[in-house]
Amino acid sequence: MENPTPQHPHETDPDTPERSTIIEIEGFNFYYGQTHALKDINLTVEDNSVTALIGPSGCGKTTLLRCLNRMNDLTEDARIDSGKILINGYNIYDKDVDVIELRKKVGMVFQKSNPFPKSIYDNIAYGLRIQGIRSRSKLNEAVENCLRAAALWDEVKDRLNDNAMMLSGGQQQRLCIARALAVEPEILLMDEPCSALDPVATSKVEELIHSLKEDYTIVIVTHNMQQAARVSDHTAFFYLGRLVEYNVTEAIFMNPKDPQTEAYVSGRFG
Amino acid sequence: MSKAPQQDRLKLRRSKSRQWLGFDTQRLLKLFFGGNAVIAVIVLLLITFFLFREGLSFFPQYQKNMEQYRRSGMEFTSLVNEEHERFNQLFRSLVDIRKLQIEQLTAQGLSHEEIAQASAALRERIYAFSELAVPLRNYQRDVRNITRDTYALAQADLEDEATMAQHYDNTIAALRATFSTYEEINRQLVGSIEAQLALMPDFEGTGLQARAKDFRQDAEQFIVSLPTYQARLTAWQPVKEVSLWEAIASFLFGREWIINNDGHSSYGLLPLLTGSLLVTGIAITLAIPLGVGAAIYTNQMALRGEANFIKPFIEFITAIPSVVIGFFGITVFGSAIRWLSQQSALDWLPFFPITERLNAFTAGCLLALMAVPTIFTLSEEALNRVPKIYKETSLALGANRFQTTMRIIVPTALSGIISAVLLGIGRVIGETMVVLLCAGNRIQIPQLSEGVGVVFEPVHTMTGIIAQEMGEVAQGSMHYRALFCVGIVLFVLTLLINYIAQKLFQHERVGD
Ligand SMILES: Nc1ncnc2c1ncn2[C@@H]1O[C@H](COP(=O)(O)OP(=O)(O)OP(=O)(O)O)[C@@H](O)[C@H]1O
Ligand SMILES: [Mg+2]
Repeated sequence: MENPTPQHPHETDPDTPERSTIIEIEGFNFYYGQTHALKDINLTVEDNSVTALIGPSGCGKTTLLRCLNRMNDLTEDARIDSGKILINGYNIYDKDVDVIELRKKVGMVFQKSNPFPKSIYDNIAYGLRIQGIRSRSKLNEAVENCLRAAALWDEVKDRLNDNAMMLSGGQQQRLCIARALAVEPEILLMDEPCSALDPVATSKVEELIHSLKEDYTIVIVTHNMQQAARVSDHTAFFYLGRLVEYNVTEAIFMNPKDPQTEAYVSGRFG
Repeated sequence: MSKAPQQDRLKLRRSKSRQWLGFDTQRLLKLFFGGNAVIAVIVLLLITFFLFREGLSFFPQYQKNMEQYRRSGMEFTSLVNEEHERFNQLFRSLVDIRKLQIEQLTAQGLSHEEIAQASAALRERIYAFSELAVPLRNYQRDVRNITRDTYALAQADLEDEATMAQHYDNTIAALRATFSTYEEINRQLVGSIEAQLALMPDFEGTGLQARAKDFRQDAEQFIVSLPTYQARLTAWQPVKEVSLWEAIASFLFGREWIINNDGHSSYGLLPLLTGSLLVTGIAITLAIPLGVGAAIYTNQMALRGEANFIKPFIEFITAIPSVVIGFFGITVFGSAIRWLSQQSALDWLPFFPITERLNAFTAGCLLALMAVPTIFTLSEEALNRVPKIYKETSLALGANRFQTTMRIIVPTALSGIISAVLLGIGRVIGETMVVLLCAGNRIQIPQLSEGVGVVFEPVHTMTGIIAQEMGEVAQGSMHYRALFCVGIVLFVLTLLINYIAQKLFQHERVGD
């Protein structure tokens, strides 16, 4: 696969974005009850880029991801202490923000592949049907486009009416990505999308992420350093709820500034 | 892991556990728990065996009884009875017309004398009609007298076969001798009914005219049907054997359950079965939306405080003894329904006002109350088993909570919900006390021709009849066995429902 070479200068200072930024997180503090899960996070994500979130287990990667489309609204005891998250300039935690619209714009792919127990077709059409789209031709078109975008079309085009549970793990994960794409989001959040996949399926999903970068902004959580290095433009390293270092991926892996980052990316963390 | 294991350090030999009466404790424990399971199984098998032994021996007995009934000529009596009953019906509708006429005249404010005068013509016809029935009634009494003793003799089972056959033959011969009388009676009946119809007075008002027209049609139909009674009489074969299948069929599809201690009883399941099904149907129609709806609400939409309040409340219904629910049905609910039905605001409903306080609807409502906890609890569990991730995924795709519930959660839990409903049905169909107290206990097939009003008819049920009659029957008698047979039908029905419910349940587990 070709190597994405990010040319932008690193942007530790979110106030002076060089390219158009789509996500801005400012002084964000987040609690689960007494647990201070995210501590004073400042982070900016560029349009049409892939940002990897890395860090040891329990450092708050998933939490941050779930804050970006307000999935944490469902969690009891969860609360934001201070700070804000801007997407396209809007503070998504403002009172007048329509959460449903937000979630349409910020899609999410979960760690465990979780197709609905419905047919492949219905899985992908679901996001459109709930918006009231009934036209068969529109749905057909969307299903085909999304499956093609998720590089799954050729494998399933003859069995769109089969139950999605019959697909292999890797196919299911790509189906979930296709399902998220169907709603036409601008940002795609992926939480360890490859953790349950074998190397072949993993590389397929990685290729997919590459091609999706053209149209989407992707934030991906991963425990796999090679994967982060392969797919992302920027990498953020978290530790104990803090953003320790955020930089162009190459810099994080080749020339980390923080000793903790260095220890982690080189596998000497302990 | 330094040294190689030595022979005596590696204790592989089983150590002796404590002994008790020659058994070690492990085995005793195993025996204890296994024994309990075995006892449960044995008891179930015993019950099943006993039920089927007592119940199934009903059929040969019934078969023999039907044969005695036929050969002693009683069957012929019932044919005549049928015709007489049909005539009485005709007569009653004539009386009803007069009642209506008098009502209308009273409403017009006429005095007693005037009313008597206006309806005199009709009264004449009624008298004449009642006279017409006399020969038929006498004939019926005569044939019954001829056959009754022979039937009683056969039932007593004292005579040997040859003597009995002789008795049968004599009776049939005596019966055959009356055939010509019967023909003559019918012929005269045709003539005199036609004469009476010709004399019918004219009525005023569309209501009365319509009734009179109905009556006329009915009477003409009766006249036309008279030859069929004649034909059945000719076709009647007093010596034809009754097969076991005939006995089974007349139990399963018999339309009458009539217990007659000194005469002939007929044991037809249909009125009880339809009664049970009607009550169950009403109960389930009411309980499904309540139970499933409440489950969806508590599981998906309620705040935690609400759920903590609703759940114990609904589950608490289970704790109310069914006899208390039945008592409530008699004293409060039944009367309330009747009172409601008599309100003039509800007159537009075709089946209101209702006359019976205790009916299928009253019982059905209370049974619904009893089925709701089962359906609620199990449906709620089924909804709970739907993986949480489905909900999150759906919300992440931009669905709102309601869409998520209706399109993802409920369809995924559907088989579990259906099995909950089936178990609810199983509970309702086997419930005894409430139906016994509230269903009205009238043994008759609900008349579907009444439309929705059928639900307000008093019915009797399979469970109710067993509870009501089992105490009075002599052990081993045919009646006793018939009740066991009803028990078998009930048993098979509930078993079937539970089986399907369990299948669905497993199906869902695998799908998880
Ligand atoms: N629903 C919750 N309620 C309470 N605490 C939570 C909840 N979810 C996460 N936490 C806590 O918040 C912290 C961050 O968790 P998070 O799931 O974001 O970690 P993570 O970086 O995604 O870890 P992993 O790599 O293992 O997925 C942890 O200490 C965790 O215990
Ligand atoms: Mg995580």
